[in-house]
Amino acid sequence: MSLNVDRASTAFTFKGGMLPMTVMELTSADPERIREQLAGKLSQSPAFFQHTPVVLSVEKLDEPHLALERICAVCRAHKLLPVAVRGGADPVKQSAWALGLGWFPPQEIKPRNLESVAAPAPETPAESVQPAGGGRIHRGTVRSGQQLTAPDGDLVVIGAVNAGAEVLAAGNVHVYGALRGRALAGIHGDAQAGIFCRELHAELLSVAGNYKRLEDIDPRLLGSAVQVRLSDDQLAIAGLT
Amino acid sequence: MAKIIVVTSGKGGVGKTTSAAAIATGLALRGNKTVVIDFDVGLRNLDLIMGCERRVVYDLVNVIQGEAGLNQALIRDKRVDNLHILPASQTRDKDALTSEGVEKVLESLSEDFDYILCDSPAGIERGAQLAMYFADEAVVVTNPEVSSVRDSDRILGLLASKTRRAERNQDPIKEHLLITRYNPARVDHGDMLNLEDIREILAIDLIGLIPESEAVLRASNQGIPVTHDANSDAGQAYTDTVSRLLGEDVPLRFHEYQKKSLLSRVFGGGRR
Repeated sequence: MSLNVDRASTAFTFKGGMLPMTVMELTSADPERIREQLAGKLSQSPAFFQHTPVVLSVEKLDEPHLALERICAVCRAHKLLPVAVRGGADPVKQSAWALGLGWFPPQEIKPRNLESVAAPAPETPAESVQPAGGGRIHRGTVRSGQQLTAPDGDLVVIGAVNAGAEVLAAGNVHVYGALRGRALAGIHGDAQAGIFCRELHAELLSVAGNYKRLEDIDPRLLGSAVQVRLSDDQLAIAGLT
Repeated sequence: MAKIIVVTSGKGGVGKTTSAAAIATGLALRGNKTVVIDFDVGLRNLDLIMGCERRVVYDLVNVIQGEAGLNQALIRDKRVDNLHILPASQTRDKDALTSEGVEKVLESLSEDFDYILCDSPAGIERGAQLAMYFADEAVVVTNPEVSSVRDSDRILGLLASKTRRAERNQDPIKEHLLITRYNPARVDHGDMLNLEDIREILAIDLIGLIPESEAVLRASNQGIPVTHDANSDAGQAYTDTVSRLLGEDVPLRFHEYQKKSLLSRVFGGGRR
């Protein structure tokens, strides 16, 4: 998507990108109430609050004037980094710009529930590394209740994914072991993504939003090494030989 | 410095307290100065299993809140010299436990004891998290059934992320699998998960396998840890488990189904 110019002579190129972003949907404009709730959340999942960029959505608020500066200060004090505001009337837009924040128009369609991606995730196992290229490699078992996400690339698990665990990737999901939990590939809509595993017992398989539950999977495939791809908007599961 | 071992499982009723009492007794019988702490505030049971319920005056919560000294709350076991019990409170709830308070108690116990066993409550809430937070090793108690295995898997995830060792990036907690209530005949029938399936899913080292045994129920009701019942299969299996905890190489027993021969039926030998 870069402009067709001589790279050596340019200082930068513009690129389009779809970055995962947490939206903070405000249902109260009272900075004090926001502070209280944030303090509670911070103690529950400190790992989430590491200068995480957030978009403040004020679509659900009916107030033309907001104490935007104070709300931003509260967020920053809890290690959330407001980068933009979505929705609100003109005064909100003006004060967002004045604070150096971007402004997005209100969303027309109802946002899909992306909680599994954006929510302060449950425990992420410690033994994973993020190599260059945005992918992620995890060594060891992914256990029940754990969630492992590769938001920008492929996820490789060298070990098993147990029942009750969830692995997600923007690209492919590779499991070099038994897949007993949930596996979601192409979470940002990449229909070319796939899921590969050594032993299929998955609770749920999903590629770009198309999913199959364990019940829908041909029992003859269970226990074998498979690849899962999207073909004509249907998940196709085939043996890996 | 004492070694802190948490006995935990996620699921309730799988034999955590029985195992904590039996292992603590076994460690003490081998000459280690051992204390076992009941973290199940509000549902205390360990004192019953250890047979000291009539001697409880102060408890863990009293110590944490400064209402009693540690030595006032520690109960000396009647049967084994170097074994002590720190009971839980029955009238308070788990919110009475504070992280700082637990840390302080464990620190002072560390000076006097070789082993500190923390008997965790069921669940994954505050009580269970505090019981595991300061541990060096963990004994994960699992029954041969799917729900117990899944809950143990969940607990193993927490051990790897929500503990002091994990948060400080120290060597991870040493995790041991203890399978209890194993009935080889029912495994043979396919009613229970078999040993290999459990090991494959949980992917940690097996420290012991305790057969389903009448001796365990008898021991609980009498308040005598089953380790003292040296003739019973469960008592022997716990003794083996303790030996393995101490680093010895002991072959696995009681995991294979043996049809009783006519002779053993007549004389009632072998299993009890």
